[in-house]
Amino acid sequence: MRVFKSRSNFLFTLFVNLVMLTSLLLCLIPFVYMIALSLSSPKAIINNEVFLWPKGLNVEAYLQIFSYPNFFHAYGNTILYTFGGTAISLFMMILFAYPLSKSRLRGQKVLMKIVIFSMFFTGGLIPNYLLVSSLRLVNTRWAMLLPFAINQFNLILLINFFRTIPADMEEAAIIDGLDYFGILLRIVLPLSGAALATVGLYTAVFFWNDWFNGLIYLKSSQFPVMLFLRNIVTGTSMVGDAAGAGDKTSIAISIKSAVIITSTLPIIVLYPFLQRYFVKGIMIGAVKG
Amino acid sequence: MKTYKREATTITAKKYFLRYWQLYLMLVLPLLYFLVFKYAPMVGNVLAFRRYRPGMGAWGTEWVGLDYFKRFFADPAFWRAFRNTLVLSLLNLVVNFPIPILFAILVNEMRHLAFKKVVQTVSYMPRFISTVVVIAILGELLSPSSGIINILRERLFGLDAIYFMNDSKYFRLIYVLVDTWQFTGWTAIIYLAAITGIPSDLYEAATIDGATKAQQILYITIPSIMPTIMIMLILNIGRLLSLGFEKVLLMYTPDNSMVSDIIDTLVYRTGLANQNYSYATAIGLFSGLIGIVLVAGSNTLSKRLTGDGIY
Repeated sequence: MRVFKSRSNFLFTLFVNLVMLTSLLLCLIPFVYMIALSLSSPKAIINNEVFLWPKGLNVEAYLQIFSYPNFFHAYGNTILYTFGGTAISLFMMILFAYPLSKSRLRGQKVLMKIVIFSMFFTGGLIPNYLLVSSLRLVNTRWAMLLPFAINQFNLILLINFFRTIPADMEEAAIIDGLDYFGILLRIVLPLSGAALATVGLYTAVFFWNDWFNGLIYLKSSQFPVMLFLRNIVTGTSMVGDAAGAGDKTSIAISIKSAVIITSTLPIIVLYPFLQRYFVKGIMIGAVKG
Repeated sequence: MKTYKREATTITAKKYFLRYWQLYLMLVLPLLYFLVFKYAPMVGNVLAFRRYRPGMGAWGTEWVGLDYFKRFFADPAFWRAFRNTLVLSLLNLVVNFPIPILFAILVNEMRHLAFKKVVQTVSYMPRFISTVVVIAILGELLSPSSGIINILRERLFGLDAIYFMNDSKYFRLIYVLVDTWQFTGWTAIIYLAAITGIPSDLYEAATIDGATKAQQILYITIPSIMPTIMIMLILNIGRLLSLGFEKVLLMYTPDNSMVSDIIDTLVYRTGLANQNYSYATAIGLFSGLIGIVLVAGSNTLSKRLTGDGIY
């Protein structure tokens, strides 16, 4: 039993906990509502009977989207872009961050300026589009991967982390006859698991959620699942229409919700376990930057 | 003597390179990437001063000077987008700058540690959800025929359904509130870190002097995190013109375009949809230059006020 020193402190604690409970519910309710809609019968949806609990429980919407080849295809594309993009990105960022973490390396300061300037001034939408187009990358999957290989914020995160590795470990390794590639592979990377996980997660989330680049660069067979969802929402793309015309809108609602849930599921499910890495990034980044 | 010295430096440079060539080899590929994918598009901005003809290269065909700039300066659609960008950004700043600070202060006051952990974990999550998903959920919550908000309005107050997503009156409000939902928890992490750094004896002394919680927040917590607040404010001012383009694009409908057409969506529409490449590049370049001025200005301001900048 907690003892409150005064009435005002008790009221304050009550107020804090109420606000926090409300925030918690506000964060969760949209997802709960989507789950409820995706599991409800079209009849219950059309009669506006669904609140935060499914009504007329069934998995018809999920069965339907899984029988829909375009959805599978888009989901597969997203998995490909996420793994491919993250692998390319980590490779490039490690190669750049390691030399840049050596502040006494000649030319390092100029290179840092090149990186930082590009954070504040970018080519803009049209020049970027024309570049990708003149590199003949439009309508190829590379258009989703190559232009985003290095995110400057993540790069600086990695540089900051590499700098925390004690210099005498490297000196000892040089005496032992390791070259710089050896040091990077055998000493720096094994010590950087947490930083690599953090940067890798940010990158993976970026590629998983990306849709706009798919919209401007890809043809429909290459679309990622987020673009597929966006096209369902805007009505550009058809959802399953096996049911009668009268049921179409309510069917569409449960199917839309099922697509929302399945396309977000990996993030929602993995998030609680990986949360500490997500938060770590903002902390390392806050040191300078 | 002079020749000897020069020789000495070349030998050192050679030695230096022999010793560190692997480090330089590592950065060749990423540097090439920066030149191609970050710097070439910057140079590509010359398109704003040149006429583009399809099939005749990304650099345009002939110089037209400031023609495209003159044209969009005379275009009411540009000024509408400019005004919409400013209004939406400022509104967003006024609402969503203080909220994470308050949120962090309140989270810090939570005494039940398990509950605190749950609240923190859940409140960061929206930051990692795709904007497409966020707007899709919003569309269902606010749907006039089946959305839970309209159903509740009707059941509880007998009000008529409103097509929120399509009504220009609600666009700005919805945009700002979605931003609150997406980023409050995440942004609060920075303030929470600052609050954690406040020495606890300050609070102990205040408690002995009989200060209430509210007084402690007002006279200890907020003044202590003022430097962080200032840096964040300056950062936000530097980013004033860069709104969540994807979110606006997803929320854009012809019916709310009066308020939802911002500079970025205008560039997208005139450039990619209508293929007016040079004209759109000019608008994009103009807004990019304002962005640079804002960042540089706010950084100078930050260095003068807090002694620390962002670069």
